[in-house]
Amino acid sequence: MAKLERAFWALLSSIFLFDLFLPVASNAEGDALNALKTNLADPNSVLQSWDPTLVNPCTWFHVTCNSENSVTRVDLGNANLSGQLVSQLGLLQNLQYLELYSNNISGRIPEELGNLTNLVSLDLYLNKLNGPIPSTLGKLTKLRFLRLNNNSLSGGIPMLLTTVTSLQVLDLSNNNLTGDIPTNGSFSLFTPISFQNNHLNKLPVPPPPPITPTPSAPSAGSRPDAACLALETT
Amino acid sequence: MAISLLENASLLMLIFHSLYCISVSNSICYAIELEADVLCLKTIKSSVRDPFGHLNSWKFDNTSEYSICPFFGIECWTSGENRVKSIHLGGMRLQGQFPQGIENCRSLTELDLSGNNFSGPIPPNIGGIIPFLTYLDLSVNNFSGEIPPSLANCMYLNFLILDNNKLQGQIPPQLAQLYRLKTLNVSNNLLSGQIPEFFSLSLSSDDCTGNLGLCGAPLEPCKKHGKKSNFPVKFDVWIISGFAVGYVLSTVLAFGLCLYTHF
Repeated sequence: MAKLERAFWALLSSIFLFDLFLPVASNAEGDALNALKTNLADPNSVLQSWDPTLVNPCTWFHVTCNSENSVTRVDLGNANLSGQLVSQLGLLQNLQYLELYSNNISGRIPEELGNLTNLVSLDLYLNKLNGPIPSTLGKLTKLRFLRLNNNSLSGGIPMLLTTVTSLQVLDLSNNNLTGDIPTNGSFSLFTPISFQNNHLNKLPVPPPPPITPTPSAPSAGSRPDAACLALETT
Repeated sequence: MAISLLENASLLMLIFHSLYCISVSNSICYAIELEADVLCLKTIKSSVRDPFGHLNSWKFDNTSEYSICPFFGIECWTSGENRVKSIHLGGMRLQGQFPQGIENCRSLTELDLSGNNFSGPIPPNIGGIIPFLTYLDLSVNNFSGEIPPSLANCMYLNFLILDNNKLQGQIPPQLAQLYRLKTLNVSNNLLSGQIPEFFSLSLSSDDCTGNLGLCGAPLEPCKKHGKKSNFPVKFDVWIISGFAVGYVLSTVLAFGLCLYTHF
């Protein structure tokens, strides 16, 4: 009888412990996102569905999960958000898309974003972010889109980013970046378009060969002006 | 009195109207200047023939605000801004000449027109109109004429794919200045002449086969006919002069011997 009783209590306590720890694993991601919500001002109430008492954040609007209830996407572009990002974002281990563009988010880019090893797209463009581009972003070996343009980022371009061979689209334009523009590794694919309107040292430019003049009349710059001229005279 | 009042009023109206016109036209000017990329795609669509309707999603209404970024084959830099990064129109059975209107896509880095029925020349000023290209694929078309030397101005080119066209003449030696070039394919054209020596690119013979008379690495070396290699000519001269000298010497020797034996 005593053996049976002990077995019963062992089973009950193991079920209890199991129930205690199971939701905590998924709630860590919900907690991380809730930390973000707490740090943001949300006048349009886009984060209204973000209820931290739910077992996981997978039913929240603007959050996408995979089949294991782990967050893969956060889509909050153009949401009129302000405030700052949080280091807890680095806990979203399966995050692939972090879309926070076109808001009024200020403060720094957390270094911890370098822990998001599954990240494919990091879009923080058109915000009010300052401080440096963390070199930890060079650890994101699956990153394809890195768009940090139109912020107030300062400091240099981390050389470690040239080791991210998956990088296809880079836009760092319209910031306050200084120093040299790397041209090796993945940066061989990037032109001055990706770096314009900063305080970066100009890429060394070999003199162009003589270009034969085109027989057709309008050149690239004059066509819109010609249209404007036509309008102004009417 | 009433007339001068009317005059004043109409003068004021005129000034106001002019100011209004200028500000409106300025804002329209600004809008048009901002939307150069829209003009780019509009002129591309109107200059190519699209018998199978692949560009049907390229709609240009008269409203001033619309996005070209969802257009088929188009990739923009960011959402919300009409700045075109890539144009991929491969395999759409498009016809016509190289769309010159592309010059208005000022942020273009990738252009793929492969596998169509484009004909005519590659614009000689291509390096001037789309200088930021990193990827250019014009393969499997009917492009003719020469490879423009101005392509050397596209100094960010990583991939230059021109195979299976009717391009003729030489590969411009200026292309050796393309320091970022990783792939060059000119196979199956009508090219001839010396293949330039590239800085950091190792060409394979597959990249060069199927032409009229391309020579130099990685193909057979070019046959030398110029000033530098007059050795064959010299060799002939030496042989002839050697024979001549030998003939004269042996004649003199024989005559001398003849005289000696007689005296």
